[in-house]
Amino acid sequence: MDDTRTGADLVVDAFEREGVEIVFGYPGGAIMPLHDALFQHCVRHVLVRHEAAAAFAASAYARSTGRTGVCIATSGPGATNLVTGIADAMLDNVPMVAITGQVRSTLMGTDAFQEVDITGITQVVTKRNVVVREARDIPRALADAFRIAAGTRPGPVLVDIPSDVLKERVALAEIPDAPRTIAPRPRASVVQIEAAVTAIRERARPVIIAGGGVRWAGAAAEFRAFCARTGIPHASTLHGLGSADPRDDSFLGMLGMHGWTHANRAIARADLILALGMRFDDRVTGNPKTFAPNARTIVHADIDAAEFNKIVPAGITLHGDLKESLNALKQRLAGESLPSFTAWRDEIATFGGALPVDAAEDGHLPATDVLDALLRAIPSNAIVTTDVGQHQMWTAQRVRPHDPYSFLTSGGLGSMGFGFPAAIGAQFAHPNRPVFAIVGDGGFQMSMAELATLRRYSVPVKIVLIDNRNLGMVRQWQQLFYGGRYASTSLWDNPDFCEIAAAYGVQAIHVDADTSLDDAVDAFVQCPSAALLHATCYPQENCFPMIPSGTSVDHVVESAFA
Amino acid sequence: MNKAFVMRDGRALARIIHLTHRFGCSYTRIEAHAEERGFFTTIDLAGPAEALRRLDAAVQTIIAYDKETT
Repeated sequence: MDDTRTGADLVVDAFEREGVEIVFGYPGGAIMPLHDALFQHCVRHVLVRHEAAAAFAASAYARSTGRTGVCIATSGPGATNLVTGIADAMLDNVPMVAITGQVRSTLMGTDAFQEVDITGITQVVTKRNVVVREARDIPRALADAFRIAAGTRPGPVLVDIPSDVLKERVALAEIPDAPRTIAPRPRASVVQIEAAVTAIRERARPVIIAGGGVRWAGAAAEFRAFCARTGIPHASTLHGLGSADPRDDSFLGMLGMHGWTHANRAIARADLILALGMRFDDRVTGNPKTFAPNARTIVHADIDAAEFNKIVPAGITLHGDLKESLNALKQRLAGESLPSFTAWRDEIATFGGALPVDAAEDGHLPATDVLDALLRAIPSNAIVTTDVGQHQMWTAQRVRPHDPYSFLTSGGLGSMGFGFPAAIGAQFAHPNRPVFAIVGDGGFQMSMAELATLRRYSVPVKIVLIDNRNLGMVRQWQQLFYGGRYASTSLWDNPDFCEIAAAYGVQAIHVDADTSLDDAVDAFVQCPSAALLHATCYPQENCFPMIPSGTSVDHVVESAFA
Repeated sequence: MNKAFVMRDGRALARIIHLTHRFGCSYTRIEAHAEERGFFTTIDLAGPAEALRRLDAAVQTIIAYDKETT
């Protein structure tokens, strides 16, 4: 019996030890030994058509399961093509392990073919990165990588392995144990919990904001129970969508730049903000100096103490695992007499509860009509991904996911090209659930080579292409803030997307203003295999409401003619 | 603002220096020496209060991530 392993074998062994079932990647010279090892083991490798798609697919795998996603690329351009996806995972707190091949050790530092200092490049967009110098260190490096990626506040870790190290053969007896340790998670103190309860008891106009931390803490059930127990109106950040029970009347929808006006006005009027697992992103706060101006107290709960007082000063901080903090609040509130917030909820109802309609000219199909029809038609267990831009915000305003793992979008980095490969990653994670990628014509052209991935693996992802022949969100800003000078945003020369889909064997359905929209959407949703719904939409439709960057809800724009 | 901390990964200091520039702050003194637990580092930072507050948050995160590796 062979009692030796190559470095590449040890990487695959680590995958198996960590429960990795699938990795997304693209081969190349320096990473060939790892692909060779994967070829001989049971961990599934999904070949994408661009390394960025591997990172986005791995990210979506993680976002939709809560488990760590894995992507693989070769040295040099393979590694640099991962960087956007890694940065995207860093900003959205996604647990991801990226493995990159490196030129062989003796060539490092010589500007060798396909050599880049990828650990230098990714230092600021990873929780941790490392070059592994000897094969015997691989088990420890990978164990650390998975632990750190998923630990406390999740994020990406990059492990760079020179090709000679991947090929190096070591005796099993020489390999140090890779200890499996779990990082201790901080817990909010009793004093902190008591202060939060006192604030809830003493305020009349509280609002809860749910952020992406609810997902990563696995705390949706606790969050919903807390909302139900207190009756406090609650809004959601983009990444908090799915935290709230979609049937809860106290849910106000998404807040922020393109959030619902009544949610933003509630924040402006609130005397208490309970910010749970969110980081006061500028798309949420606008001008932080005028955010929640009437709030006498802000309670901020987060796993990362560095978030406290970074943007918005918090009077009470709950530093700890959100699930535990919510359980502690629940226990403390048992038997507690709380104020009724009925009058406050009634007041919020007067703040306006409808999305403004940006009417299309006759003969044009509004994109919002397509999205409304789609969201009516999709099954309740569907996973929805979006790309970045107007369609993303229109969807976020409307979608009511049943859990935080079913709406996947690039929030912090706002990476165009995310939506379609993300849907592929989510579909591999959930082969029995319907997955819909809602994309624009700009972002889809950054990733549509992945149609080949759909075909190769018979992935039944449904692509909804909102084609307004523009980079719509930038065009909207040009209309509103740049005097209507439409610099480089017209995509008047788009290709025939239906023909492109057909070339990859993907069924395409076209809709425009002359089509029966509901019939077409129903036919699309029912397709058993991959399909493209190509919607030719009104080019000048804007996404409202909109709070211009750096302002407050007092400056909300609900029409281009305001 | 004075910060004193121990880092396992010496590269974290380079990251903090980079962020100091990025946030429009400056450093007036940096000292680091290797000891058993890692690099014992002291750094004096100066700059506008708002920028220092954000830099402090970023440094806290870097140190916290560095601790996770030990």
